[in-house]
Amino acid sequence: MLQQLLVNGFILGSVYSMMALGFALIYNTTHIFHIAYAGVYIVSPYLFMACVAMVGLNPVLSFVIALLLSVIVSLSIERIAYYPLEKRRSPSTVIMISSLACMTIIINVIAMIFGNETKIINSSISGSLVINDLIITRPQYIQLSVSLFIIAGIIALINRTGIGIATRALSNNKLLCQVMGLKVYRFRLLLFALSGFIAAVGGLLIAYDVGIDPYVGMSMLLVSIVAVIIGGVGNFYGPILGGFILGILQALTIGFFSSRWQNVVTFALLIIFLLLRPQGLLGEKQRMA
Amino acid sequence: MNYVMHLVVMINIYIVLTTSSNLLVGMTNLLSLGQAAFYGLGAYFVVLGLVVLHLPFLPTLLLAMLLNAGFGLLLALPSIRLKGDYFVFATLGFQLITYTILYNWVSLTRGPYGVPGIPAPKLLGVLEISGLVQYCILSLVLAFLVILVFNRLIKSPFGRVLKGIREDELSVLSLGRNVTMYKIEVFVITCAFITISGFLYATYVTYIDPTSFTLDESIFILSALLIGGTGNLKGPIVGAVFVVLLPEVIRFLGLPEGIAANLRQIIYGFFLLVLMYFRPQGIAGNYQVK
Amino acid sequence: MMNEDILQIQDLSKAYSRQVVNIDGVETNERYNIIFDLDLDIPQNTITALIGGNGAGKTTLFNIISGITEADSGSIMYCTKNQNSWISLLNQPPHRMKKIGIGRLFQDNHIFLQMSVLENMMIADSNEWGEMPFVSLFNRKKNREIEQFRMKKAKDTFELLFGRDNPFWQKRDDLASTLSYGQQRLLGLARLLMGKYRLVLLDEPTSGVNPMLANTICSVIKKMVDEEGITVFLIEHNMKIVEEIADYCSFMSHGKITAFGYPRDVIGDETVRKTYLGM
Repeated sequence: MLQQLLVNGFILGSVYSMMALGFALIYNTTHIFHIAYAGVYIVSPYLFMACVAMVGLNPVLSFVIALLLSVIVSLSIERIAYYPLEKRRSPSTVIMISSLACMTIIINVIAMIFGNETKIINSSISGSLVINDLIITRPQYIQLSVSLFIIAGIIALINRTGIGIATRALSNNKLLCQVMGLKVYRFRLLLFALSGFIAAVGGLLIAYDVGIDPYVGMSMLLVSIVAVIIGGVGNFYGPILGGFILGILQALTIGFFSSRWQNVVTFALLIIFLLLRPQGLLGEKQRMA
Repeated sequence: MNYVMHLVVMINIYIVLTTSSNLLVGMTNLLSLGQAAFYGLGAYFVVLGLVVLHLPFLPTLLLAMLLNAGFGLLLALPSIRLKGDYFVFATLGFQLITYTILYNWVSLTRGPYGVPGIPAPKLLGVLEISGLVQYCILSLVLAFLVILVFNRLIKSPFGRVLKGIREDELSVLSLGRNVTMYKIEVFVITCAFITISGFLYATYVTYIDPTSFTLDESIFILSALLIGGTGNLKGPIVGAVFVVLLPEVIRFLGLPEGIAANLRQIIYGFFLLVLMYFRPQGIAGNYQVK
Repeated sequence: MMNEDILQIQDLSKAYSRQVVNIDGVETNERYNIIFDLDLDIPQNTITALIGGNGAGKTTLFNIISGITEADSGSIMYCTKNQNSWISLLNQPPHRMKKIGIGRLFQDNHIFLQMSVLENMMIADSNEWGEMPFVSLFNRKKNREIEQFRMKKAKDTFELLFGRDNPFWQKRDDLASTLSYGQQRLLGLARLLMGKYRLVLLDEPTSGVNPMLANTICSVIKKMVDEEGITVFLIEHNMKIVEEIADYCSFMSHGKITAFGYPRDVIGDETVRKTYLGM
């Protein structure tokens, strides 16, 4: 029982970690509170569904189209809602509200087209792995392997290539990078593309397992934010750690209490961290007040 | 005519919500996503007073305001020092926890079944406020009182310090005013006055359940305030009128209910987006959030 | 003869750690002493100037004295009104400083641009009555009286500093943002006279203003000392002004006070001339 819960938690945590990393890519570097991430997250499952079920394209092509369009949505948000405001030096709260507005628009456009009810992408639970009483369903092992693969890819990207150095430079000193000009902007677009890609994959992975409705993006966003905070802002390993902690904690909550108390546990953890260790587990000590 | 009066009551409920939130958002730059939680708590405290304790109108309202202020203090004490984004997270956390508790602690709040049959308040113990006309008047009076109080507050020496805080905290500190204490006071006052909307809502609809007090409602209240504008008295009123009347306008288009609700949200979102670019202080506000 | 001291600073140190990313993307933490074992005494009822190059730690020193920045070690003792009692200024929150009589003028104009000139003065009043919520609503008569009194105090302050027909009182209901930069600076100084300060820290009061206004500012500072009995501690880059108004001058370099004395002596000092003035 406990082992099964821990395994479930670890798998859920891997998706959370990936999502948190996607949020941190934006938050650590641009300090934009990217609420519209919740909107980007639900775009890909719906597009995938639309392509497969309505247009009748083959799944692989649909998958590519869904990912591509999610990236485009993410870039459009940057282009329409963030960049013009940053250019006029709007305060961060204004950008945050703008992001909130984007999220509202995306969610409701999707709800208007596809309806409010939950849609199931895959109803087959066949093909589970059974190892010593532990059951890992097919969606689960796909979730785990894809998430870990993408996390590893992003981390490699951050550490090995010039992107990583620039990312860290950007998160350390935004002003310096602004002076550097156009290149920084391209780099910013790349970050939004990456985060859009991650959100799209995350959306598909979760939808493949439990289906999708237009409002699930919000809870995934909240989990990502909490994971980033408890892991540590300004750092890219923190969100990964935070994601796994949350995944395992939520699985245990579901196992021992009820899924209804998931949110309470998540946010109780957030508030504890905000009070006792606002810099997060791996964050540098800095003044939060 | 009934329809118009219903709208007036709803507008007044939102005027109280936005006007009280304006003190927090427009005067001290604290963006809260927990306003619906306090709105809901206020409504539940009113139920506690009217249904459980059988108190008359005024003591119920005062008790509810006091309890809500207490909860406000509870949240404000630890979180008020947090920087911008982090304060928003803390209020967001509070919102979700409050909702989950209201929804799931069935033995205390009746959870999703809600509380039906909330009695109409009796003024001075005799005059029962029940009909739509009386409600319209009661809500107008309460909304007017709230606006009056906040008007006075903003123009008082207290309001002057708040104006200082929203512009330059460091300067206010160096002039010897305890900025943190002011922020806590503002937060608690806001919570106390939001209770009035909870009171109006609970006794007007005579039924409450947690789904009226979700995070979406918090976002909605905040949008109403930001669309109307922050920092003065006009803004919140304009915002409240706007968000209550817009759905009615859309209703005339004759769209199916499901689509109309989504379209409404899209229009709010679009308004916010455009406003943040062209007029971040809102339609009628005079001060933009920082 | 030296006056009694109002402020005694001993062995004060403050270090920042800063993250450095080098060209290979390797991050290192570097500790950087902005203030190191600093000693300084400020005599009462005088003007003491603080000079030194950029990055010498002057503003940090001011921030530590006014409670905005925490010091790592050392002591700052402040002499309260009854001459023999000293209190430590370390770990006091910034808003406490006003209560014990320490005021501050920031380097950039930290006045409230979106408030009227008069409001800028009234918010700085030493009397905080009515600033608790609702208090002024319940006692409106008293509130009116006190507000009248604050207004009169503002008027008197303007007249004391700038004469009878000063532009400030005439423009009292205009937003402070309509004042010129120099006037905003003067408003910031005048605001300090609304509180009951005994020691004010002025961070480059004359920077960015024309010579005429600089003269006015100097005369305002002198009036603060001569007529109000305030002690002034100021950062100043203009040596002419230092020689003209300061009673004492201290030279700060690499986080330490390396010279202290009469302005003429300090400015004439050979190391000061070499390291700072470049002469």
